[in-house]
Amino acid sequence: MVAEPTTGPPLASRGVAPVIVPAADLPQPASPTGPGRRRHHMLSKASFWRLPMLLLAASFMVIPLWLLVVNAFKSEQDVREAPFGLPLGRLTLAPLRAALTDPDFDVVRAYAITLLFVLLVNVLSLVVSAPVSFVIARGTTRWHTALLLLFVAGTFVPSQVLLIPVVYVLKYLGLMGTVTGFVLFETALTLPVSVFLYSAYIRTIPRELDQAAAVDGLGRLRTFHLVVLPLMRPIVATAVILHSLSVWNDFANPQIILGPGSGLYTVTTGVYAAVGKYSTHYEVVFPNLLLAVAPALAFFAIMQRHIIGGLTSGAMKG
Amino acid sequence: MSLSTTARPVRALRDLFATARGRDRLTGLVMTVPAVVLFAIMMIVPLVLSGYLSLTDWDGYTAHPAMVGLDHYRSLLHDPEVRQAAWITGVLAVVGTIAVNAVGLALALAISAPSRTNTLLRTVFFYPYVISALIIGFLWSALLSTNGAVNSALRAAGHAGLPFLSQPGWALASLIGVVVWSGFGFTLVLYIAGLHTVPASLLEAARIDGAGRSRILRSVTLPMIAPVVTVNVVLTLVTLLRSYDLVLSLTGGGPAGSTETAAYLILAQSFQDNALGYGSAQSMVLTVVTGIAALAITFLRRRADERAGA
Repeated sequence: MVAEPTTGPPLASRGVAPVIVPAADLPQPASPTGPGRRRHHMLSKASFWRLPMLLLAASFMVIPLWLLVVNAFKSEQDVREAPFGLPLGRLTLAPLRAALTDPDFDVVRAYAITLLFVLLVNVLSLVVSAPVSFVIARGTTRWHTALLLLFVAGTFVPSQVLLIPVVYVLKYLGLMGTVTGFVLFETALTLPVSVFLYSAYIRTIPRELDQAAAVDGLGRLRTFHLVVLPLMRPIVATAVILHSLSVWNDFANPQIILGPGSGLYTVTTGVYAAVGKYSTHYEVVFPNLLLAVAPALAFFAIMQRHIIGGLTSGAMKG
Repeated sequence: MSLSTTARPVRALRDLFATARGRDRLTGLVMTVPAVVLFAIMMIVPLVLSGYLSLTDWDGYTAHPAMVGLDHYRSLLHDPEVRQAAWITGVLAVVGTIAVNAVGLALALAISAPSRTNTLLRTVFFYPYVISALIIGFLWSALLSTNGAVNSALRAAGHAGLPFLSQPGWALASLIGVVVWSGFGFTLVLYIAGLHTVPASLLEAARIDGAGRSRILRSVTLPMIAPVVTVNVVLTLVTLLRSYDLVLSLTGGGPAGSTETAAYLILAQSFQDNALGYGSAQSMVLTVVTGIAALAITFLRRRADERAGA
């Protein structure tokens, strides 16, 4: 906009400008006319709508979060009578305390279990997918390309759709309802993204490094372990963020593979058990939901730049 | 193969150490096998097995289910519940994908310039991405149900309230609304990144040539970010075709099955009814449809690019 007056448009624009400017705008007062002037007017009109539109969109995003937070500290009656209000004098910790001490759903234990799953899946995913990505990235035959395509094709297989046959496989292996079975399946689901990101990243690491290591007498495994893996830190961070969010937020897989019988509740399956029955009992619903989202939101608040950056770099490679 | 590889100086050098090369191959195999085995057992075998189970009457318990041939595929063509779920999944996926991307792109255009306010807005638009779809569904169900926050507020204002989740048409619209609310932030973040790759000089050139805002958007910006559009559309579509968690917690598939998606039918119904053979048949169809949709969009996009390039 600053450059506006100086970009005095050539003749060609005269043909364009009148088409774009709405007729109603034409009889505007004075102004040393000319197409440049008109365009300026159009821009300011667009920016006039920009602010209200953004404010409206932002409030749509923020209000549900506000409702979630304030209503977790209000009595059932206050929630029902004035859900948007913040009755400072009557705020209470009782619903939150009740949710924390709910005998049916131990939320702190669910945090611990879910966190354990997140850790196990991330470690196993790295251990399994980084080496194969190295082989794929350094490979030159079409078998290596085929292997990469095979893994990447996994992205398009809906995990919900795999669940029925996976239940069959896990029963066959005696792993149904076990942590091992769940972690193995969940890790397999991370492989497409991991292998894709890692092999693309390793390709950007110069082969000369490998060759230097080979000259120094390092075998392939040690070259990978001592030379390449340490350089992969940024992309590993990206993968860990993506996988952590998907394991933490997963519901269908733990619900069906672990099942209520195992007594192992993740945050999502626990909330489902605790809230599902009482979905109209808001004194139960809001505190439980708040407890469920708090860790993810805190993680997001701290890691925001990395989450958005990692996601962007990951998807843009596709 | 050995001819072409030995042609490369690096390989030739390595060939001098014939034993080391053999060892490297072995190492390569060792590094490959764990991932391939895990992937095979948990993805490929289940996929093949799904095809087999879809021809059986597996109930989830027996080890040797009886074969029923193509019966399941035949009956799902005429099953009103399946047909309704297919229709609802299609509407949700198509309308949802268009809406999510339209909102994401529009807002990305509005806040793509780097500034503190815009970064804050990006955060505000994106945050639902880190929340589980199940929780988002429960939250919105608490907001939109008959006695939920929104209706309480409407009634306090003297309005009779709206049947967001209690009437079929409304419920599907609400479901799509929540999908847009929770999903556009992801596309927005990618669109912003894509917009930053458009060279400022190109926009400036278009401006000097006298192109207006909408003309620049149509003729410069959109073609430049076309790959991002493809990625966003494919990812959104694939995600929406498998919607399950959100449906379960927001509407439970109701009212009267009006929001039952294919994935919901497969998981909620077939496990409940011990009809996993039938569920597998539905899974196969959904997998094939998802694959075709993703491939078709990518292919069409590429062809459009080639035509533009030619």
